[in-house]
Amino acid sequence: MESIMTIEETGWIYILSYCGAIGLILIGTVAMVIYHHLIRIILGLILLEAGVNLFLITVGYRANAVAPILMGDQVPVAMVDPIPQALVLTAIVIGVGVQALALALVIKTYKAYGTLDTKELAEKIAQESGTHLIDGIPVSLPAPALVRQIAEEKTP
Amino acid sequence: MNLREISGLIFIIGLGFLLGAVFKCLPYGEPITGVGQTITALAPIEVGTTNIVASVLLAYRGLDTLGELTVLFVAATAIGMVLGQRDPEISSQPEAGFILKTAANILFPFLIILGAYIILHGHLTPGGGFQGGAILAAAFFIPILATPASPFNHHISSLIEGFAGVAFIIIGLLALFGKGYFLAPLFGTGEVGHLFSAGSLPLLYLAVGLKVGAELAGLLARLQETEASD
Amino acid sequence: MNGIWLVALPLLGAFLLPIIYRHLPKKVGKWTGPFILLINLGIALELWRSIPVDSAQSIAMGGFPAPLGIIFYVDRLALLFVMLVVLGTLILWLGSELGRIREETLLLLLVGGSCGLALSGDLFNIYVFYEIVAVASYGLAASGKTGAGYAASLRFLILSALGSALLLLGIALIYAVTGTLNLAHLATLAPYMLNDIVGLSAFALMLIGLGVKAELFPVNTWVPEVYITAPARISALLGGIVSKLTLLIVLRFLVLIYADTDAPLLLLSLGVLGVLTGELAALRATDLRQVLAFSSIGQLGLVAIAFSIPGPDGVIAGVVLALHHALVKPALFMLTEAWGGHFKRLVGAAHVSLWGTLLFIVLVLSLVGIPPLPGFWAKLLLLKGAFATENVWYHTAIAVVLIATVIETAYFMRIVRLMFQQQSEPPIKPRLHELIPASTFAALLALSIVYVGTITKNMNEIAVKVADKKIYISNTFPVWHRDFKKNALTENVKIPNSPSSKEETQE
Repeated sequence: MESIMTIEETGWIYILSYCGAIGLILIGTVAMVIYHHLIRIILGLILLEAGVNLFLITVGYRANAVAPILMGDQVPVAMVDPIPQALVLTAIVIGVGVQALALALVIKTYKAYGTLDTKELAEKIAQESGTHLIDGIPVSLPAPALVRQIAEEKTP
Repeated sequence: MNLREISGLIFIIGLGFLLGAVFKCLPYGEPITGVGQTITALAPIEVGTTNIVASVLLAYRGLDTLGELTVLFVAATAIGMVLGQRDPEISSQPEAGFILKTAANILFPFLIILGAYIILHGHLTPGGGFQGGAILAAAFFIPILATPASPFNHHISSLIEGFAGVAFIIIGLLALFGKGYFLAPLFGTGEVGHLFSAGSLPLLYLAVGLKVGAELAGLLARLQETEASD
Repeated sequence: MNGIWLVALPLLGAFLLPIIYRHLPKKVGKWTGPFILLINLGIALELWRSIPVDSAQSIAMGGFPAPLGIIFYVDRLALLFVMLVVLGTLILWLGSELGRIREETLLLLLVGGSCGLALSGDLFNIYVFYEIVAVASYGLAASGKTGAGYAASLRFLILSALGSALLLLGIALIYAVTGTLNLAHLATLAPYMLNDIVGLSAFALMLIGLGVKAELFPVNTWVPEVYITAPARISALLGGIVSKLTLLIVLRFLVLIYADTDAPLLLLSLGVLGVLTGELAALRATDLRQVLAFSSIGQLGLVAIAFSIPGPDGVIAGVVLALHHALVKPALFMLTEAWGGHFKRLVGAAHVSLWGTLLFIVLVLSLVGIPPLPGFWAKLLLLKGAFATENVWYHTAIAVVLIATVIETAYFMRIVRLMFQQQSEPPIKPRLHELIPASTFAALLALSIVYVGTITKNMNEIAVKVADKKIYISNTFPVWHRDFKKNALTENVKIPNSPSSKEETQE
């Protein structure tokens, strides 16, 4: 089909935009994996979502096309694909909801344990629930300790 | 460097290579199926909007928009459950400075007008329910920033968000009874490019705008209240 | 009856529920949710009756025909999962005390989202409904209102949001290549456009994304934490019932888009790894709910293995395994409300509540797969299907499944033995409202033993139709030219080998 264009024709916008999308996705994922601070992990998540959204928008891009809005009596020239734009709008709003819920949970977690570091958090939770960590998996204490704990709960 | 970080880095490097290789293979330009092109050509005739993204959002993919409103509602409900009710006895943050307080009063009517304009012209110009709703939410949130002691009325915001969501579904169901399809555009297309055109789409956008506005304002107010109670 | 009601009704109820609770007597609010679920169940049954096995109701949203608008594809398989979710939620709902407004709203939204997920025939729409289900799950996971619950829910959210972003990336890749999002349309295009490296990487990304909810191997670290900290009925709902829905989506992708590629082998390997890691972790765990959580990872691994078997054999094995697990696991989770924690607390349980113990033993035996119980038939179907493929990878999977069954028997029998020992301090007696849901699920299980012949026959019919992508395509595309703007569409949109063009020439 003749409408499939070469990179030379469509210019540098494609390449730049794709590289930006890859970059954002990778930076976001790296941040989510290497950091131990919950806020930084959530920031990484936001970057990742931004990268995916940028990629979606780039998918709909056409060379020399205008925004998909008819203006007056203007003869319609080539327009960019409207579907990815609608999808991105939806994805952004969904992202906002998820991020807000994440922040609410962060507030509650911080109130409960006084820390946002994932390692410290895991240790504190393990202490609280009377378990001990083996390779990061919490394992309940054996029965005598637990019975004692229940007895302690009942006494006050 | 523990096991988790190493496996994470391997995953990321793999993802990087994968994306690089895949993006190189992607076709540039128009995909041969041309669904987007067809919609661009048909939308002004079938739906009657000049903003084609609006007709994709509300007509061709109206169910996505309902789902998206639902996600916001789910998030708002979950946040309400997690953060709980505000404790009135806990003192709130100190009031903001003179500039913010004055600006909040002056900005309020303008933001309301701007939000309403953007919502109501969503089918004609760039913008629409989400953008306008976000502006409406800002209009109600800036006064809270200025005077944190003033209570935000969660009852009214939840009432608006409930009824706006119901209105969206009811319009969809009316179309189901009238035309046999859920969320089909009603009332004809009208004269393309005028304010009263595109059938039931402006009504849907109004519901979207009100719901998004009430929900975002409620979310922000709740987060702010919890922060203030520390 | 239009299938959209299955989604619209719970959403309508959820939007109105807070208002009903505030402005009407509390009794009305309490019974709104169960009432809506009952109606939903009725609608699903009516649809099941009215839709023949080999056909499906294909609903064009807004009247916009197939690739332009969103399609709901209502066939018997989707309805089966819808009924499962609605019925399961109803039983668990009635088994708990009523009147928690926000939790009930979230439950209704979860049901609405799940129904949409099962019925949708559009990639991006699937993403949207997946997000509804996911966000409702985060909220429900935190509904225990403990610090550990919030932290577990947060970790679940972060992992799942990472998965969702990758899922969206996969969908974007598919859109970039094909320019369409409709599953039936993609099914016609896939052999030409998607069975290459781009298509397969899109599948890998989507599999990771969907795998978070389906507890697939690398992305299931949230499972034990959440199921321990969430209330028992929420763990039952998420682990037992909702997690299967995403595997249904994966099955649709495999059948429609990736039938002749290596994609099933990817699912197979993730499933095998899931079975192994899940069962081994369960062997080491010392907390009853943790054991159930890890065993649920293993069981979902089995379903993944089954769905990766090409053809109707895989479909029927996977569906039966999923249904069986959806009856057994919620019942077991409900019993942990009294018996949770370290399983040394179970010592002497048989002397406290004989009925509870009996239920536990029957359910566990069925999960392991002891002959008269339905679990045996489910596993047998899986083994038969895997054996018939004559592929060495599937035969390896059979060996793994058998080893996993032995491990499963070992750790469950260890628990059962503890229940019959004598103990000076007896465990807590389960309350009635915990036993009723568990008994209901067990009764359904018993019913399935009685009707095993009918069920197998019905499932076979459904599986044969589901595994055939031509039926999906031809059921979706009649809408194509029945609708308005027929000419404009056929001029602009070209579908290779589209069934509609054939039908047009016949007319």
